[in-house]
Amino acid sequence: MSMLPEKENQNQMSASEPGQRLTLEEVRAKLKGQTGKKYWRSLDELADKPEFGEMLSREFPQQASEWIDPVTRRGFLKLAGASMALAGVVGCTKQPDEPIYPYIKQPEDLVLGRPVYFATAHPFPMGALPLLVKSDAYRPIKLDGNPEHPMAHGSSDAMTQGTLLALYDPDRSQHILYRGETRNWPVFQAAFRGMLADKKASGGGQGLYFLSATVTSPTLAAQWKKAQASYPNAKFLQYEPVNRDSAYAASKQAFGDYLDAQYKLDQANVILALDAEFLSGIVHPGFNKLAGDWAAKRKLDGTDEMNRLYAVESWTTTTGLKAEHRLALRASEVGPFAAAILAQLNGGAAPAGYSWTDEQQKYLAALVKDLKANAGKSVVIPGEQQTPEVHLAAIAINQALGNAGKTVVYTETVNPMPSIQGDDLKTLIADLNAGKVDWLVIMNTNPVYGAPVDLDFITAMSKAKHTVHLGQYLDETGNVAEWHINGAHYLESWSDARSYDGTVSIIQPMIDPLYGGKSEHDILQQMLDDPDTSAYGAVRATWKQQLSAKGDYEFNWRKALHDGFLADTAFPAKSVAAKNIAVNVSAPAAADSIEVIFRPDLNLYDGRYANVGWLQELPRPVTNLSWDNAAMMSYGTLDKLKVEESDVIEISVNGSKVLAPVLAVPGHADNVITLTLGQGRRNAGRVGSGMGFNAYDARTSSAPLIAANAQVKKTGNKFEFAVTKSHYIDHRAMYAGGDGSGTHSLEGNETLTRGIIRYATLDEFRKDPDFAHQGEGHDAPEPDTSMFASYRYDKNAWGMSIDMNSCVGCNACIVSCYAENNIAVVGRHQVKVGRNMQWLRIDTYFEGDLAAPRAHFQPMACQHCENAPCEQVCPVGATVHTPEGLNTMVYNRCVGTRYCSNNCPYKVRRFNFLLYSDYETESLKLMRNPDVTVRSRGVMEKCSYCVQRISAAKIAADKGNRQVRDGEIVTACQQACPTSAITFGNINDRSSKVAKLKAQTRSYGVLEGNNTRPRTTYVAEVLNVNQELAAALGEGSPQQNG
Amino acid sequence: MATKDVKINDPMRDPVTGENRVIAPGHTLRSVTEKISRIVLTSHTPLGWFGGIMVASGVATLLAICVTWLFLRGVGIWGITQPVAWGFAIINFVWWIGIGHAGTLISAILLLFKQTWRNSINRFAEAMTLFAVVCAGMFPLIHVGRPWLGYWLFPYPNTMNVWPQFRSPLLWDVFAVSTYATISVVFWYIGLVPDFGTMRDRAKSKVGQYIYGMVSLGWRGSVRHWVRYETASLLLAGLATPLVLSVHTVISFDFAVALLPGWHTTIFPPYFVAGAIYSGFAMVITLAVPIRKFYHLEDMITIRHIENMGKVMLTTGLIVAYGYSMEVFMAWYSASHWEYFMMWNRMFGPMGWSYWVLITCNIALPQLLWLRAWRRSPSLMFLMSLIVNTGMWFERFVIVVTSLTRDYLPSSWGTYKATRWDYGTFVGTLGLFTVLFFLFIRFVPMIPMQEIKVLLPQSKVREEAEPLPEAGD
Repeated sequence: MSMLPEKENQNQMSASEPGQRLTLEEVRAKLKGQTGKKYWRSLDELADKPEFGEMLSREFPQQASEWIDPVTRRGFLKLAGASMALAGVVGCTKQPDEPIYPYIKQPEDLVLGRPVYFATAHPFPMGALPLLVKSDAYRPIKLDGNPEHPMAHGSSDAMTQGTLLALYDPDRSQHILYRGETRNWPVFQAAFRGMLADKKASGGGQGLYFLSATVTSPTLAAQWKKAQASYPNAKFLQYEPVNRDSAYAASKQAFGDYLDAQYKLDQANVILALDAEFLSGIVHPGFNKLAGDWAAKRKLDGTDEMNRLYAVESWTTTTGLKAEHRLALRASEVGPFAAAILAQLNGGAAPAGYSWTDEQQKYLAALVKDLKANAGKSVVIPGEQQTPEVHLAAIAINQALGNAGKTVVYTETVNPMPSIQGDDLKTLIADLNAGKVDWLVIMNTNPVYGAPVDLDFITAMSKAKHTVHLGQYLDETGNVAEWHINGAHYLESWSDARSYDGTVSIIQPMIDPLYGGKSEHDILQQMLDDPDTSAYGAVRATWKQQLSAKGDYEFNWRKALHDGFLADTAFPAKSVAAKNIAVNVSAPAAADSIEVIFRPDLNLYDGRYANVGWLQELPRPVTNLSWDNAAMMSYGTLDKLKVEESDVIEISVNGSKVLAPVLAVPGHADNVITLTLGQGRRNAGRVGSGMGFNAYDARTSSAPLIAANAQVKKTGNKFEFAVTKSHYIDHRAMYAGGDGSGTHSLEGNETLTRGIIRYATLDEFRKDPDFAHQGEGHDAPEPDTSMFASYRYDKNAWGMSIDMNSCVGCNACIVSCYAENNIAVVGRHQVKVGRNMQWLRIDTYFEGDLAAPRAHFQPMACQHCENAPCEQVCPVGATVHTPEGLNTMVYNRCVGTRYCSNNCPYKVRRFNFLLYSDYETESLKLMRNPDVTVRSRGVMEKCSYCVQRISAAKIAADKGNRQVRDGEIVTACQQACPTSAITFGNINDRSSKVAKLKAQTRSYGVLEGNNTRPRTTYVAEVLNVNQELAAALGEGSPQQNG
Repeated sequence: MATKDVKINDPMRDPVTGENRVIAPGHTLRSVTEKISRIVLTSHTPLGWFGGIMVASGVATLLAICVTWLFLRGVGIWGITQPVAWGFAIINFVWWIGIGHAGTLISAILLLFKQTWRNSINRFAEAMTLFAVVCAGMFPLIHVGRPWLGYWLFPYPNTMNVWPQFRSPLLWDVFAVSTYATISVVFWYIGLVPDFGTMRDRAKSKVGQYIYGMVSLGWRGSVRHWVRYETASLLLAGLATPLVLSVHTVISFDFAVALLPGWHTTIFPPYFVAGAIYSGFAMVITLAVPIRKFYHLEDMITIRHIENMGKVMLTTGLIVAYGYSMEVFMAWYSASHWEYFMMWNRMFGPMGWSYWVLITCNIALPQLLWLRAWRRSPSLMFLMSLIVNTGMWFERFVIVVTSLTRDYLPSSWGTYKATRWDYGTFVGTLGLFTVLFFLFIRFVPMIPMQEIKVLLPQSKVREEAEPLPEAGD
């Protein structure tokens, strides 16, 4: 071992000849079978070879062998000194030059405290969301939609916002593991490439299987295509528990090809959602665009025309609740209902074999009439979690109405390698069980957790000879895989993705991988001739041709990075006609049998975000359930099953069982139990493990969407939900202020009585545009009735207007607020007690019979009252009025009497009852917005109208010696909103957007009667009710109800 | 007051007027001093005292544990939440402060009104006030989120150049309670000075002589001393009298000034004051009945005292009842939806039970005080005092918690569930109060000797010119 210097020389020599590289595997192979003296001789022989030295130095880069010698003092000191020096050298290792171009807001250089913005995209199976990332000192601290991108117009959604926390999650996997022991990338590379070399030589990759998450990256597809040339028999399969199988299957049948449907809601007057949650989040492809276009036609800005939404759905979604007319049907009835629509459109009678109730028939008739009247200007959207038949029916209806080509066009799929994922998985399991799989590489998906329970993935997986798992977490799959490669977050790695319209975004990393994670590109690259080409190189290679075609490649590349997308890469509409559209729907199960439907969780999706505290704590829309999941059902089903809310029941379906607590949901279809996926994780991390129950336990491959004939058994146990807002039934008799029905929500009734929610039908609005101010107590008192003098605002007076017509209750604003304002996550128990810290919440009120309610979503944050009750009662003056009319909290001054909270009629103040903010976890410190204080224990906090953003804009304006421009200040909630429901600005400026909104007749303040004079006002909702249908169903108008 | 069916042989009745005596016959100046000072100066502390203070200290330790944990973790260990941001701490604060009021009323207002029957219960009623204020005063401090910054509520000159916010009723509380505590301590102490003089003179032990000598401030009992003493007492009584009304008025402002339905009402000041006196007298009875039994003080704390206090309770109880009924009436008469809903919720909402506990304890059961026999039975009065204090605690619970659980925005309605730390802290203050009281009865003459002596016939002799019938008053 004293021949180190020579060895190093040899290393240098050998390094120039990459072909002769030796791997550890090969060394092992050569030594295999040798024992005793022979072993040592072989080892000596090997050791003399230069390749061995090279291999050794790769394995032990710090020349660790030195330590085997007895350490002399001199030797030790030399080594110690060298390590010090080397540490510096390693630290200065020249990273490959992968410049990120250019800044959106160009600073001269990095100015600390001054954020810079970069464009990237969040790859999501339903289509990527283009992003503009705020980076402070090169740490991404806020994600927002790319305002220039045609799909999102700057909006985002709850899950995308949550991925920021996922980046800094301290529970992320930080090492490559081999059977639980730490390894490094070269070791894996050696093993993997060794295998690949064998496979390539024999059988063209036979026995090599990839199981990937849904592919959205064209580069990944290109890499695979290239790899397949050398490995024709290797298989690349995709499986995610939530997938687009139904849509793909239907389009395959109708068009003979996998196509994506793009709905143009800006041209649709009548929209029918068939169990489609297109307003509820990116669980529906193209959500941001759909929601934005839908809302744009409801602004009543200079027009009194609106679109109309019908929703037929089985569980209660925000989409359904925003509909003018909602019909709750069992999921298995939606198909027959769609078939009935199609039949009536075509002039025939509804298909026999199923009898609709009176109410359903009336709904059907009115709907068909309305659709017909708006032929070519209507659209039917099928739900992703509905059966292929429903999708097929939607294609047929759109075709029959002449909508195809107008309000709906068909394009290539976002997924460059579309497949029916359920079949993919079945193929894999069959091959696994047949022993055909040597190497199974699972990339960014978690089948051990999410695969259908009847396929028994974990047993099948154990039959693969070797398994590799790439993922950001050491999750259920990573735990049983032989190799676990810690994955890179999308903000850490290069890639590309298409948004749902096909526009390509380059995903550029915002930060060096925190834990050296690898991406799927790195894995696939191993199969190619240049395994060390980084993802950066791969992505550049993919777009080289296309970008070079339009001029200078480098220039165009930089422009693409700067813009965040490649212009004009949206898919062109395909002129296809549906051919095979005979809709054969299977009859639904007997009406009184219980069916179970599985839906992706609106916060956690399929479980991938289970360890994101923001998303766990975020109250789900409609139910306001945080932290857990539930067996959701209607009040009627509750009675039928003789269970109560919070009872734990055992649901048996298709031979599998799951224990779930019951939660009643207003408007839920009867005889249906909705189970949301994504909870009950065992290896999610500290936040997500053990929350809720695992609905996958009841999900079989034959019935991944709707499972009929479920059996329900009471267990006698109870489970207390962490619900941020409960629904009380109004049991008051008429004389006590109630309506005597006993089926309405107490809050709903009270809310309307109190004028908190005001709305009208479109006809009523046309007749009386001032409807929001009619009625008792609906007018604000004169400004001078206060004891205290009014403030004067000479320059700016900030205010906010929220359009109740546009708000779809999707929660994007809340998570955006989390990120912007460093809001703490408090945990399930604290939420249960009622101490959730969200500054902004979406109040959901159910009006009318809870079996078929109308709902109202009202975003509620600090109203910044002119005459603020909180300011008057704070004994230390910790909450004060600014000269621009903000009601500000001075955290430093707050002693925590909580009097302000008691006196706040809006109850928007949040108190740090305990030390909620995490002061310990290092990675979370990187995430925090440096402009916002991290609040300690005992301090009150609340919405500040994003005062840090106001200050930033004012400083910028001062520097330019100008006024702050309208629209220059965008609050975090406003920025995230997909429907532009929130407008912020200077109300002193008569021409500002917010001042104009406040001047609208529909504008009103909540609880104005208290003379609080809130700065946030609401634009009352107007519903484009189909009068005929309302009359047929005997629904009263809001004025009568209210 | 006079009753016709006088039993001639009843020693507790004045044969001339037929009234109950304030003090049993047969006492002399010496016997009074003897009886009262012996309790303190005895070298033989009764075992019961030791037993009692041990139990009480144990309970008080619970308070220490609760407060320590509170300071370590934060107010989140309590049940307070959104929207009920005030819970047990504020309820207890108002309850304890209310209890204190009876002491001040007895020592100040009854002094001004020359109600001499107050003399024998005056001292310990005022001690009760002090200890209640100690318990009460603790809560505003510990209930804040950052108790180490509690001093920011005081207007003191500081480098930050900030003042408290004078529009806040909490700040008024600070002034009201601190003034109240100060006046109560001074008044109590001034009243003790002549008795401390007596103790100094009678103490056998060196330590006793030394300490009582110190605290008696050189009292020699000269006429000049007595004149100054009487003047000081009157002046302090004059100062304390408005406090009886103002302190609880200010505390009621914490609620009345707020916007919350159920708090925002002008009736609070008078009914809070009446409620305070109501609960305070109840507490005096709770203390007096066992003490008089244990130390055989039936001669000095007589049935007349018990009965009079019963009458005060009945009166203030009726005022409180009037307050409750006015709240209900106004909820209807105001035609305000908020008030109407608040009252409906208070009665029939999820926490409606607490309202009915309150009505039962504060209005229904105390009507038994109309019965003379009930008022004259120490044990029944003791029972009634416990009922009334429970009721008064629930009154604050209903006001603080029930109003907060359901206010303006239905989306924010919530509930409140006290934790073990809430209960621990409350019970702990009862322990602290009892410990302080045990120390008081052991080391301080619990009945003012010099004031009792005034009531003796011997002291009347010198005032021959005075008409006789007023003597017993």
